[in-house]
Amino acid sequence: MSKKASQKNQKKISNILVNGTLILIVLLWTIPTIGLLVSSFRTRDAIATSGWWTVLPHREWTTTSQIQLDEDTDLNAPIVVNGVAYEDDALRDGVALGDGTQIKWQSRRNRIIDVQEKEWAINSEYTLQNYKNVMTGKTYEYVDSEGNAKTEQGDDMSNSFLNTVAVSIPATIIPILIAAFAAYGFAWMKFPGRKFLFTTVVALLVVPLQLALIPILRDFVALNLNGTYLAVWLAHAGFGLPLATYLLYNYISSLPRDILESAFIDGASHFTIFTRLILPLSVPALASFAIFQFLWVWNDYLVALVFIGAKPDVQVMTMRLAEMVGSRGQDWHVLTSGAFITMILPLVVFFSLQRFFVRGLMAGSVKG
Amino acid sequence: MKNKLWQLIAILAIVAMALSACQSAATPTEEPMTEEPTSAPADSMDMSYLERAMAGEFSGTVVTMAGPFTDEDAVKFNNSMADFEEKTGIDIQYEGSKEFEASISIRVEGGDAPDIADFPQPGLLASFVDSGDVVDMNQYLDMDALKANYNQSWLDMAMMDGPDGEIMAGVWQRVNGKSLVWYPKDDFDAAGYEIPTTWDELVALSQQIVDDGDAAWCIGIESGAATGWPATDWMEELMLRTTSLENYDKWVTGELPFSSPEVKHAAEVMSDLWFADGFTYGGRAAITTTFFGDAPLPMFEDEPKCWLHKQGNFITSFFPAGAEAGVDYDFFYLPGIDPQYGNPVLVAGDIMAAFADRDEVKAVMEYFTTGASVEGWVKAGGAISPHQDSSLDWYTNDVDRGVAEIILNADSVRFDGSDLMPGAVGSGSFWKSMTDYISGTVDLDTALAEIDASWPK
Repeated sequence: MSKKASQKNQKKISNILVNGTLILIVLLWTIPTIGLLVSSFRTRDAIATSGWWTVLPHREWTTTSQIQLDEDTDLNAPIVVNGVAYEDDALRDGVALGDGTQIKWQSRRNRIIDVQEKEWAINSEYTLQNYKNVMTGKTYEYVDSEGNAKTEQGDDMSNSFLNTVAVSIPATIIPILIAAFAAYGFAWMKFPGRKFLFTTVVALLVVPLQLALIPILRDFVALNLNGTYLAVWLAHAGFGLPLATYLLYNYISSLPRDILESAFIDGASHFTIFTRLILPLSVPALASFAIFQFLWVWNDYLVALVFIGAKPDVQVMTMRLAEMVGSRGQDWHVLTSGAFITMILPLVVFFSLQRFFVRGLMAGSVKG
Repeated sequence: MKNKLWQLIAILAIVAMALSACQSAATPTEEPMTEEPTSAPADSMDMSYLERAMAGEFSGTVVTMAGPFTDEDAVKFNNSMADFEEKTGIDIQYEGSKEFEASISIRVEGGDAPDIADFPQPGLLASFVDSGDVVDMNQYLDMDALKANYNQSWLDMAMMDGPDGEIMAGVWQRVNGKSLVWYPKDDFDAAGYEIPTTWDELVALSQQIVDDGDAAWCIGIESGAATGWPATDWMEELMLRTTSLENYDKWVTGELPFSSPEVKHAAEVMSDLWFADGFTYGGRAAITTTFFGDAPLPMFEDEPKCWLHKQGNFITSFFPAGAEAGVDYDFFYLPGIDPQYGNPVLVAGDIMAAFADRDEVKAVMEYFTTGASVEGWVKAGGAISPHQDSSLDWYTNDVDRGVAEIILNADSVRFDGSDLMPGAVGSGSFWKSMTDYISGTVDLDTALAEIDASWPK
């Protein structure tokens, strides 16, 4: 075998290894999501009694005939079926007979045993009811104080969807704007205490936000801000700022010095440089942080619960979702469809912003 | 391209601002109330807060409420309040949250407490009473009227220790019964079984079902992070049936340790029933892995796989959609064991506690002490009134009426002990150690000793 051929082979093998691993990881990550998607189209009873994978063709035990034992068969002794004695426990789980069939209790009470064979089966009961419940609100039936049966339509998702949008978008933009200014300052401006201030900001990364909930709530109550959108915007902005500043600092400080120096020589002020050079060049970093922050705020439950509360007119979508399962979690099955509906906008945001950070904007910028 | 991005951001920002402007302004919950000065007629001093409210004195005021019931329960609650709101002009703004236990602590600490909160766990309320945040109802409500309208047990259970001595921390508005055994009525009758009225009959019936070829009991205690709570309910039932009420009360307050013979005996009675050969569907191993809501489902198969299921009246919401009360299922009272302890009933309920002492809040609290406040919910189904001035005629379904009768006929009523114990035990080690014991990880003595060790000093 020539050297070239063996190299080629090696490359092939490593390619297969890498691709194989990637495919495995992708499968591991997506299978639960696919399961959730399939479950969202199934009824509550179906989800409770059979796995989502039964919608695929599979082989399952199907009863072909039944054996009626003597009514007086002693259940505590080994059970004799067709002349062979079996343990009771084994019959509960099913005993394979070797010819591709198995025998299993159908009803111990009536002394009936099923003879089963494996047959191809597919589970094809689907429903849109879960999505209907989430989109249009559940219907409640009750009797009012005059004794009339009444039905009432519960809240749909639209209101909480708008609330979440109204919370998430400003709560994404505000910290990015502030953090971009701050990152520029830390990276390119010289002022005393710069290192110390920056270290402080980075150190704030390790402070868990739960720690700050009560003090901030007290301040908001004192300022009469609590329950307003501004309160939750500020809270999210504050909690997001350390990470945003740190990420953007790393990016902005790595921009080529030459560009900024030539701008300074041409007499540009810091503000001009920031708006004309830094912001456009930082779009990839801004976009990736925007995705993080947007997803975080979109999925947030705790901050919104504390600062705007759970009243139906102001509650965000995560709360609406949590409420849908009912006081005791009896309607857990609607979560499946709810999860997919709440996913839509984050996916749109992700795919529309993704282009900005995949494209290397830096490539052409220095040549120009 | 860059311009487009900025345009996009600008548009999004404008849309968001516009949206938030369109929304009915999220007003701060703590609106400064223009308290009506003493412009009310002088004789209003002799009227109770509720009477003054009914006279329209507090019209236009807002009372905020928070609680754990959401969704359908919230709709029913709001509907049952509508009548009161219409008559008095007081606007009750209820805010239900799935994370009530966590959020109420943050809100009280942060100075953003609702005017009234609905606690399903008196143990949690006790911690707020201890920190002095809760208004003492004793000062404002007519105690004679309360005594006339509640079983004394309820009033006793509302007394809690505050920083300045014992106060009445709240009033009970809605209760539910726990000492119920559900069974598949049609099959049960067809099999010729009789409803047991004593513990021995219950054990005999269980044995009969096993001899006939099925498992007797459907038991499942899995409930996510709260796994084990149905087992604690069983323990409380058996404590009430095997020892005195004094011992039960001592046990709940920590004076009687879990490792005492009384508690151990109750656990053994439970084990004898659950772990006997073939008594539990799926055997001992299945108990800790079966979701409590799924546990009764085998009763509803064409041929029931298990026949008896002990759970509170809420469990009907987990029954299959088509199951009909009185046909597909029914329930009986979990019989007493030792005749000297009679027929006790284990209950749970919602206690309303006030965090503000404005007059309209007191009026709403006083309203909660009357059966009228829960009448709408009772009629809608799913609630049981603890008030003496409520009527059995209000119950529109047989299940609720039957549960109400069981509670009214009880020799004694005791509250779910795990909800009264400190959180570290009642919603912590008690759940966990019972689960460990049932799954066979530790033996009974170790499990009980572990609970004792976790009791806050």
